[in-house]
Amino acid sequence: MSRQASRLDAKKVNSEFLTLTYGALVTQMLRDFENAEDVNKQLERIGYNMGMRLIEDFLARTSAPRCLEMRETADRIQQAFRIYLNIQPTISNWSPASDEFSLVFDSNPLTEFVELPPDLTNLRYSAILSGCIRGALEMVQLEVQCWFVQDQLKGDNVTELRVKFVRRLEEVIPAGED
Amino acid sequence: MIIYGVYIVSKSGGLIFNLDNNVPRIEHEKTFTYPLDLVLDYDSKKVSVSFNRKDGINVGHVLVAVNGMPVNGVTLDDGRDVRTTLDAPENYPINLKFSRPKMTTNEKIFLASMFYPLFAIASQLSPEPKSSGIEILEADTFTLHCFQTLTGIKFIIISETGLNGIDLLLRKVYELYSDYVLKNPFYSLEMPIRCELFDNKLQELLAQVEKTGISNIDK
Amino acid sequence: MTIFNLYIFDKFGTLLHYAEWNRTKKSGITREEEAKLTYGMLFSIKSFVSKISPHDPKEGFLYYKTNRYALHYLETPSGLKFVLNTDTTAINVKELLQQLYAKVWVEFVVRDPLWTPGTVVTSELFQSKLDEFVRQSPIFGIRNI
Repeated sequence: MSRQASRLDAKKVNSEFLTLTYGALVTQMLRDFENAEDVNKQLERIGYNMGMRLIEDFLARTSAPRCLEMRETADRIQQAFRIYLNIQPTISNWSPASDEFSLVFDSNPLTEFVELPPDLTNLRYSAILSGCIRGALEMVQLEVQCWFVQDQLKGDNVTELRVKFVRRLEEVIPAGED
Repeated sequence: MIIYGVYIVSKSGGLIFNLDNNVPRIEHEKTFTYPLDLVLDYDSKKVSVSFNRKDGINVGHVLVAVNGMPVNGVTLDDGRDVRTTLDAPENYPINLKFSRPKMTTNEKIFLASMFYPLFAIASQLSPEPKSSGIEILEADTFTLHCFQTLTGIKFIIISETGLNGIDLLLRKVYELYSDYVLKNPFYSLEMPIRCELFDNKLQELLAQVEKTGISNIDK
Repeated sequence: MTIFNLYIFDKFGTLLHYAEWNRTKKSGITREEEAKLTYGMLFSIKSFVSKISPHDPKEGFLYYKTNRYALHYLETPSGLKFVLNTDTTAINVKELLQQLYAKVWVEFVVRDPLWTPGTVVTSELFQSKLDEFVRQSPIFGIRNI
């Protein structure tokens, strides 16, 4: 379909428009909620809701099968960042039990023009990303925790997102079956 | 050609015969260091892999031995609890053996009784009038062919995918059944089939099919 | 070749959408009951297949055939279930379902901000795109004109 073809063409999408929209959204929310913690929560929730939908697009586009190990999951998340944000985070810092890893970003399109004011150090500006990962994985029966360990906005060299496996969710059994 | 199994289900839905043929044993053994990087699921009856498959040890496989010692459900042969053993760092490195769960006879009987209503529902849900029940069921790892006689007995063959002529083979099994089971005066209808002659003839037939293909069965 | 009807379920067994084309027989029960029965049957078939499979299945159940129709099944890793009934000669139905997922479901339902996940799809745009998609497929054929 022609609609799909035009959307896949990254050159036609101006990423600054996304960056500016996101910035306007975050600042408006700060005005509305007057509290960075509440904004973090809301951004996370928005990301979660986006993830729940975005996963279907990802699955349809890549025909990816279900992940049966965390290393596959990490690769797929990396692939999704490439598809949707055109950035490739590095996967690193695996825990010995292979249930926890980090996504390390050299750059983050969402924060390209952002300078965080000193009174907002507890704002997780890119919380939408962690929410998105959590929402997407929950749709494929994986419960994870996802949080920021380092953030370039707060003076770190890189931005680091940590993803931790919690459990596999069980398939829902229809009523009346055993 | 690989035939994995033959099942016969009576008119009332009971499993009266089954033969496992060529069912592969899927077992993997590996030595692990602490912490264990498999995610295990402990329920009351077994310890199984729920995530982080590794080196052939797949999600769904069940723990059968620890350091060579058999595991019965959730306890080791010497009475130790599996979970406590696997949680203790001093027990590592540790050798674990996993296996794809094999069906027990009870499970087979249960599955046969489960197929029966599925067969009926498939006919009821048909978008076209006068539909039969399920004749072929295809999965990525096997094909199931089912032949229902006019008298209501179901013959089921589980084989590898992509084979032709299984319906012929089913007819042939039906013939063997009518010859060596029904004509045996000591066999009572609806009861489990325990006829050595039938067993032998069926195994001969399957061996011949696997060697030379279905088209060469003598009619 | 022809297409009879389509059920789309979510992972909780909710019937998100139903459509039919050349269906000639009703099951004699309400749509709701029929959906429940279908979902229950598929659930049992899945568990049956995973137990009886000689090797570790990846996709598991793909389709079954009776003498009158074939039921084709596609489940996405997110637990969406597409169930399409065709006649027994239809081929490449799995590819058709994959396309239906990517080009109709994702485009016109998942991207629809007014649709809440887990609820019945009422979008008319989706319904007409789905109808168009099915009628244009080679499997739909030219029966019943």
